Amino acid sequence: MADTIPILRIEQMTKRYGDKEVLKNASLSINKGELKVLIGPSGGGKSTLLQCINFLIKPDKGRIWLDGEEILRAKGKALYDYRQKVGMIFQDFNLFDHLTALHNVEIALVRVKGLNKGEARDRAVLELGRVGLTEYMHQYPAELSGGQKQRVSIARALAMDPEIMLLDEPTSALDPELISEVLDVIRTLRSNGMTMIMSTHHIGFASEVADELVFLEDGSIVETGSPVKILYQAECTRTREFCSKITEMYGNASS
Amino acid sequence: MTESLIVLYGALPYLLRGSLVTIAVVVGAMMLGLVVGIHLAVGQVYGGRWLRRLIVLYVWFFRGVPLLVLLFLYYFGLCSLLHINLSAFTVSVIVLGMISSAYQSQILRGSIMSLPEGQMKAARALGMSDRKAVLLIILPQALRLSIPGWSNEYSIVLKDSAVAYALGVMEMMARAHFVASRTYEHLPLYFAAGFLFMILTYLGTKGLRILEEKVRIPGYSA
Amino acid sequence: MRELFFFQPDIVSALASGLWISVQLIIPSALLGIIIGVTIGALRVYGTPSIKAMANGFVLIFRGFPLVVQLFIWYFGLPYIGIYLSPFVAAVVGFSLCSGAYQSEYVRGAFLSVKTGQTLAARALGFSQIKMILFVTLPQAFRRALPGCGNEIIYLIKYSSLAYMITCIELTGQGKIIASDSFRYTETFMVIGALYLILTTVAAWLLRRLETRLHIPGFEQYG
Repeated sequence: MADTIPILRIEQMTKRYGDKEVLKNASLSINKGELKVLIGPSGGGKSTLLQCINFLIKPDKGRIWLDGEEILRAKGKALYDYRQKVGMIFQDFNLFDHLTALHNVEIALVRVKGLNKGEARDRAVLELGRVGLTEYMHQYPAELSGGQKQRVSIARALAMDPEIMLLDEPTSALDPELISEVLDVIRTLRSNGMTMIMSTHHIGFASEVADELVFLEDGSIVETGSPVKILYQAECTRTREFCSKITEMYGNASS
Repeated sequence: MTESLIVLYGALPYLLRGSLVTIAVVVGAMMLGLVVGIHLAVGQVYGGRWLRRLIVLYVWFFRGVPLLVLLFLYYFGLCSLLHINLSAFTVSVIVLGMISSAYQSQILRGSIMSLPEGQMKAARALGMSDRKAVLLIILPQALRLSIPGWSNEYSIVLKDSAVAYALGVMEMMARAHFVASRTYEHLPLYFAAGFLFMILTYLGTKGLRILEEKVRIPGYSA
Repeated sequence: MRELFFFQPDIVSALASGLWISVQLIIPSALLGIIIGVTIGALRVYGTPSIKAMANGFVLIFRGFPLVVQLFIWYFGLPYIGIYLSPFVAAVVGFSLCSGAYQSEYVRGAFLSVKTGQTLAARALGFSQIKMILFVTLPQAFRRALPGCGNEIIYLIKYSSLAYMITCIELTGQGKIIASDSFRYTETFMVIGALYLILTTVAAWLLRRLETRLHIPGFEQYG
């Protein structure tokens, strides 16, 4: 069963751009080994929420606890150390274009974590092997397909030994035939017990792997619950409206 | 006609030695411009409000005042005011370098801003400080993108280096005039000097194109 | 006070006369430079192969030789073949031709950037080559070339100071005279520098206003 202290807890996360409030008092917590999926219409705040968790976007208000310890207005070394524990996967992959796949995975190990080149090399090779990209180690991002790029970025994030992974629409920029290779990797991560928060449009996949779905609209968390409950027996009208459209479009079989 | 050729032939070694001076001035100025330019560019893109304003001011000044005026200002003015004894060569390198840094900073700044936002985000997400991210991720890419602009700047600085003659630096133009005033073979000598400048321009830009190929990232087209 | 030194009548009048000479150098050179630039640029794009080659050759030389060398050729070199130009005329000739070569680059780029569809449509409607250039290509090319050509004029303002090197006493030359007479080098050249800075800043501001005035929405993308 899950531990009693959640690995990550956020409270009252708020962010405003001008007069528009893109995130309104969002709170959630996640236990070790769980996978929570953020769903909702585009612009609803999913990406903002994820990027607030690792302070890529500075929230106007809100508190974060990692492993029971509160992260106070993090700056400098405290922030960098915190970010090493929180892995992030981007919709646009964001691999470092001037480095090979291998160097992409190595660079943070050497320059941020401080490993020596030999250890970093071994770890990088291991992680790339885990996502099935050993033969592509020496290719540059421009030479890789979208699915391969995303898998490299997963290897890059995992090499840092994070306590939790944030995945911001990891398959939205992929051609359909490349999506499954990334979803397979995510399934493997799940079964290996990685704690994850993911936002996605793949409702089928989400309902297959998620412990809980979180429905976000207009910056607020409208409802949370198990996949079955949210998709078919939602309490809120808005949730039901959104989910009926989505299950129509995407179907309920796992993609 | 043959007399001119004889004079030219005799003057050639002297002129060619002048090309070494020219090259020294240009290399010095470009290097200074690069080092200062990188700091200005990074400061302008990632710095705070006051730093940015200061840099904009610097760029405005060094792009707005003529080279010759700055050379005179530094050499005759500031040197005596601050009681420093710098050679004409040094002053020329410094002034050309500072002017070039203003232009180079804008080239590099353009390259930095053309990089996708995600590069910086990913670097930060991995726990890199901004300083590390700029050094390891942003600059390697931005510098590569700036090579064509840098090549153009090189050809400008090369031609501007002839103005150092006004301070008495014995580079190619000065030497051509020196020989010409003694032999009265002005036209052939200036043409010779001009062609030497063109050759240096060609060699430099060719070399930079080779450099661009060598550091090219496979498949990368930004 | 030392600063008041600069508002003594003879200093001010010397600076003013130098400034006047500079203006007299810049304006004709800029105008001639544009005319030469547009002509050469057009020839490089629309000329026959041999005309193109000559125009390209012109640009190669006048962009390849440093401006200083070009000025020396006109002033010290031409007497070699019996032509004697005054410093002022030699300077204007040198500036115009050099600037014209650089201008032609921007003009050429601008002409080439006009989408080929435009010229096809014009020809289909029966425009002659010259009419097409005047009424279809030029209005578009002009806007594309404006930033580059405008910047070139700003460069001209700064490079006009080189006229001093062929003994044409414009603003910089006057500065040198005043400074060496009074030994007040730093102040003199700071004032001179400030004057040029004002000239270039005003010119840049005017250029920006012109660009905004002529702006056509959506026109930035090159074909």
